[in-house]
Amino acid sequence: MIREIRLFSWPLGVEGSERCVSAIALGIARTRRSGIFAEFACVAVLLASGCSKPIAPSADVAIEYGISPEPVRVGPAVLTVKLRDAAGAPVAGARVSLEADMSHPGMAPVFRNAREIAPGQYQGALEFAMAGDWVVMIHVTLPDGRTQEREVSVPGVTTN
Amino acid sequence: MSNPTHNPSVAAEPLPFDLMKVPGLRRLFHWRHLRTVLQIPLLIVSVAMILDGLLGPSLAPKNLATTLSWVHFRGALVLVLLCAGNFFCLACPFMLVRNVARRIFHPRLNWPQKLRNKWLSVGLFTLILFCYEEFNLWSSPWWTAWLIAGYFSAVLVVDGLFKHASFCKFVCPIGQFNFVASTISPLEVKVRDLEVCDSCGTKDCIRGRRAPGPELVVLQRGCELALFQPLKVGNMDCTFCLDCVHACPHDNIGILSRLPASELMVDPRRSGIGRFSQRKDLAALAIVFSFGALLNAFGMVSPVYALESWLAGILHVNSKAPMLGVLFALFLVLEPAVLLGMAAWLTQIWGGSRRALVPLAVRYTYGLVPLGFGMWLAHYSFHFLTGLYTVVPVTQSAAARLGWNVFGSPRWTLLGIPMRYVQPLEIGFLVLGFAGSLLVIHQLAESDCAERPLRAFAPWAAVALLLWVAAMWMMFQPMDMRGTFLAG
Repeated sequence: MIREIRLFSWPLGVEGSERCVSAIALGIARTRRSGIFAEFACVAVLLASGCSKPIAPSADVAIEYGISPEPVRVGPAVLTVKLRDAAGAPVAGARVSLEADMSHPGMAPVFRNAREIAPGQYQGALEFAMAGDWVVMIHVTLPDGRTQEREVSVPGVTTN
Repeated sequence: MSNPTHNPSVAAEPLPFDLMKVPGLRRLFHWRHLRTVLQIPLLIVSVAMILDGLLGPSLAPKNLATTLSWVHFRGALVLVLLCAGNFFCLACPFMLVRNVARRIFHPRLNWPQKLRNKWLSVGLFTLILFCYEEFNLWSSPWWTAWLIAGYFSAVLVVDGLFKHASFCKFVCPIGQFNFVASTISPLEVKVRDLEVCDSCGTKDCIRGRRAPGPELVVLQRGCELALFQPLKVGNMDCTFCLDCVHACPHDNIGILSRLPASELMVDPRRSGIGRFSQRKDLAALAIVFSFGALLNAFGMVSPVYALESWLAGILHVNSKAPMLGVLFALFLVLEPAVLLGMAAWLTQIWGGSRRALVPLAVRYTYGLVPLGFGMWLAHYSFHFLTGLYTVVPVTQSAAARLGWNVFGSPRWTLLGIPMRYVQPLEIGFLVLGFAGSLLVIHQLAESDCAERPLRAFAPWAAVALLLWVAAMWMMFQPMDMRGTFLAG
C-alpha cells in the first residue's frame, strides 16, 4: 500500500507531514505574538523538523539489483534488476528503464531500457563515461501501470 | 590614475568607452530603481533554490539549488567579470533583503577597527573552499540550500548591527572573489573628468545627500564602501552599486573602459584601500584567489586521490577533514610561502630591489591574479558551457513538482556545448591568464628595478610559468568527481 500525503504539492510521508503541519501551526502562533523574529525562527523550525527529506512511499514490490563488473570502472557495465511482489514471487511484464547521473550537476546522464531476460529479472547495459560518483535511478512501471523508483549509489567509479 | 583632461601629456589619448553613454543605457543606469529591479528576480531564484534544495530531489543534477549554484551561477559570474565588470554585486539579492531589513532595524555600530581588513574574509573564503570539498557541496542540494540561507542570515546579522556596507567590504567571500577578479575586468566605475571633482563643493559621491531638517533623512546614499571617486583607483572593493552615479550632482561618473589588469600594474594610494604593496591582507586574498583556483580544480581530477592515499599512508590518517586540512595547508600556505619567498629573495639578489622580502612578495603577488582568474574561468566556464541547457529540465521538473505543467515534461537529455568546443576555450583562458600575469609582473619589475627589470621579472615569471604548467596539466587529467575519501 502506498501511503502518501501532499503538502504544498511535495510528496511527504505521513510522519513527515505531521511534523511539518505542527511546525507551521507553531509558526503561525508565534508569529502573531512576537513578530518578525518568530517568523524567521519558525521557518527554521519548519525546514529543520523533517520536511527536508521527503519520505519515500513504501513499496509493495521489492526492487533488487546487482551491478557488474565490481568495482565499477569507467566504461560499460551491466545492471541486473529483480522485481518481487509481497509474496516473493517474480513480477514479470514490467517496464524497467535505467538512468545514470553523476553526482555533479551539469554532466551528461545515461539513459537505457532494461529488457526482461527471465521472469521478473531485467538487465540493461550502462556506459559510465567519466570517473567519479554516480547515481543510477531504476524506474519501474508495473504491469498494472503503477510506477516505482529506486536510487542506487555507485560511488568511486575509477578509470581503468 | 591620471585623467586625460587633467594631464596634457596624455591629452591625445582617445577617450575611454563609457557604457553609460550608450543610447538607452544612460537612462537605465541613472534609474534609481535599476538595482532593485535586477535584485528581485535573483531573490526569487534564490528562494526557489533554497526551497528546492531543502524540499526537492536529493539528486544534485535534478535540483535547482545545486544546478544553478555550481553550474550556472559560478560560470555566468566569471564570464561577466571577464567581459564587463562586477555586475553580480550590483544585482546581489542579499543586499535587497538587507535594504528591506534596514527599514526596520537601524544599525548603530561601526565595524570594529581591528577587523577593518580582509583577514576575516580571507578566512571565510578559504572556509568555503574547504567546505566545498569536505561536504561535497556540488552533490548536496541540502547543504547548498543551507549555504544560501546562511548567507542571507549572515548579511542580516552583520548589516543589521553594523553601519554602511560592512558585510560587502569585510565579510562577504563571494564579494572578495568578485573584487579580486574584477581587477581583470575591462570596465570600471570612474570619474569622467577630475577637474569637475576639483570644483565640486558637496562631495556627494562619498557623503550622499540628506534632507534638510533635524532628522537628516538619507535621500541618496554615497559610497558605503568608503571609495571616494576622485581618488578611487580600479575595481577593488567596488560593488558597482552605482550609488555614486546617482549621488553625483554633476553627472561626472561613468562606467569606463580600461586595459584589463592595468590597476595591478600600478601602486598609487587608493581611496578606501591604501597602497596594494602595503596590504598583506589583500596579498593573502590574492594568494587564496590564485592558488585556490588550482586547488579547487585539482580536487576534481583523478590524481588528487592518489595524492590523498599517499599522504594518508604517511600520516596514518583515514578521515577526510584532517586530510583536506593537510592539502589546504600544503597548497594555500606552504606552496605559496616557498614559491613567493624564493622569488622575492631572487628578486632581491638578482634584481637589486631594495625592498624587504615580505613587502617585495606582497607587491608581486598581485601579478599572479590574472593567472588565477584564468584558472577559475577555465574551470567554471567548463561546467557552465558543457551544462548550459541543464537549467531547462531542472526548471521543468521543479515546476512540475509544484503542479505547474506549463513548461512540459523535463527534457533530461538537454546538456550544453560539446566538450570538444569547450576545451580549446579553456586552454585559451589559461593562456590569456598566463600572458596577463607576465605583463603585470613585467610592469612591476620595470617600475621596481628600472636598471635590471629582466632580473626582477625572471623569478616571478618562473613562478607564473610553474603554476601555468600545473594548470595545463590539470586540464588534461581525467575528471573524477568523488565525494568519497580514499575510494580507490
